[in-house]
Amino acid sequence: MKIGVKYCGGCNPEYRREGVEEVLRKHFKIFYSEDVDILILINGCRKACLAEEVEHPNILVVDSPMSEEEIVRKVEDAMKELRES
Amino acid sequence: MMKGKEYIESLRKYKPTVYFMGKKIESVADSPILAPHVNAAAMTYELAHDPKYEDVMTATSHLTGEKINRFTHIHQSTEDLVKKVRMMRLLGRKTGSCFQRCVGLDALCALYITTYDIDQKYGTDYHERFKEYLTYVQKNDLMAAGAMTDVKGDRSLRPHQQADPDMYVRVVERREDGIVVRGAKAHITGAVNSHEIIALPTRAMGEKDKDYAVAFAVPVDAEGVVMFFGRQTNDMRRLDGDIDCGNAKYGTVGGEALIVFNDVFVPWERVFMCGEYDFASELVETFATYHRQNYGGCKVGVADVLIGASAAIAEYNGVERASHIVDKLTEMVHLAETCWCCSLACSYEGFKTPSGAYMPNLLLANVTKLNITRFPYEWSRLAQDIVGGIVATTPSELDYKNPETRELIEKYLKGKADVPTEHRIRVIRLIENLSIGAELPESMHGAGSPAAQKIMIARRANLDLKKEEAKRVAGILPDEDYQRVRGEEKKE
Repeated sequence: MKIGVKYCGGCNPEYRREGVEEVLRKHFKIFYSEDVDILILINGCRKACLAEEVEHPNILVVDSPMSEEEIVRKVEDAMKELRES
Repeated sequence: MMKGKEYIESLRKYKPTVYFMGKKIESVADSPILAPHVNAAAMTYELAHDPKYEDVMTATSHLTGEKINRFTHIHQSTEDLVKKVRMMRLLGRKTGSCFQRCVGLDALCALYITTYDIDQKYGTDYHERFKEYLTYVQKNDLMAAGAMTDVKGDRSLRPHQQADPDMYVRVVERREDGIVVRGAKAHITGAVNSHEIIALPTRAMGEKDKDYAVAFAVPVDAEGVVMFFGRQTNDMRRLDGDIDCGNAKYGTVGGEALIVFNDVFVPWERVFMCGEYDFASELVETFATYHRQNYGGCKVGVADVLIGASAAIAEYNGVERASHIVDKLTEMVHLAETCWCCSLACSYEGFKTPSGAYMPNLLLANVTKLNITRFPYEWSRLAQDIVGGIVATTPSELDYKNPETRELIEKYLKGKADVPTEHRIRVIRLIENLSIGAELPESMHGAGSPAAQKIMIARRANLDLKKEEAKRVAGILPDEDYQRVRGEEKKE
């Protein structure tokens, strides 16, 4: 299953967005591409510009700091849901 | 949707217990002391029917699909948040005063979000209950007074630690059909001329404060509700005529009241939080964010009137071309529009909450309000500078209207020959109304005092990230983008 990440523009992030990617890389193989099964939108704040702009059937939105466990659980849940569908 | 006149009529159906100057006010709709505040609130109804303003004054209910007054609408997009502050500026400009209805709107929006979140955690049914209440408010176009600030007693103690346990509104009895509440809420804007009171907790609560973590709605005339209408500087001028008030039609600020809940029964269908102390902080923060968002709208609308009055008096005095006057007026505009920028920015940067409702950017909303604790003092100072000392020494309306003395005042208060003396006096009084008296402390403390905004700003300032950027620019931390630009990137 292909997992992609897309960053917002990062004008004024409220947390270190790169930390999310680091966690993802530790647990999954990820691509900078929208041509994936699950697309993770890494937004710097709760405005979450990407959530309004990007269209994709399986999106996960990150818009505030999350623990490693939470990120991994969210991705695994999304993968499970996709497999079952 | 009600029209302005219908709103005033609707107040006659309610019989709230209101005291002022040692007497009970028999009819809110007919009291000359309350009239300016009633008129200002009526404008929130009237303009919704005017094709010139309906785009900002109305919305479509996400619950019923019906056209509703925006003062009862839950924001469904950032555009809704922007339209809310546009509505605030419009009404501030139209009334030169506080039109009071935003507090109830913000209470509705905050409860919509927090009841959803409470239900998610505890499996309660507050949100559905609240949606039914919201539909009732929307369908009947009701004005709700948002009642948050408790009287607080000893500020160093938590609610359950107070010597008198009623210093914060609390549940004193839980029954099968509802709860009984006791306590008081202070400085409640538009309370006496609202249809409903929505009470929210005023601070974060701990487990021992459980009985104080309560949110509910009651009609203004519910049994046991007693209100004391607050005094304002120069309030009795309302009884003398229409000149000395400065703004006889719409008054100044919101006509605040102390609301006492003297063992008031609230049925369960109107209870939206009862004991979930861990959500008190979220409810307070959400309400405060919505309310602080407003101030760069309403206060800037009022500033439009003050700037206009300052420009007019300069003209009446024949000094409108003096460079220092032009400079002061420009400075007033700059200050006001800076606050407007803040309100727009926090709205455009708003976000969707899990409930589906949108709320403004928290940091920027607090910056908006913190500016309002300062800038209105400066634009008022400039207005007083422009108008001159006569703002504090003008003879009374009664002397002006006295046939024996009118001629002397006509002659010696004259400005430019082609401007009637009465016009000059009216504008001086308007500047007095807007720059002296209740307007400024309201800017300071309405929606929370400066310290409250500073706490929120500090909490969201994200200094760690800023330090990281500083260290990168200073060459302490690696700068990968710079290294790529210079062709110095590490080879893998």
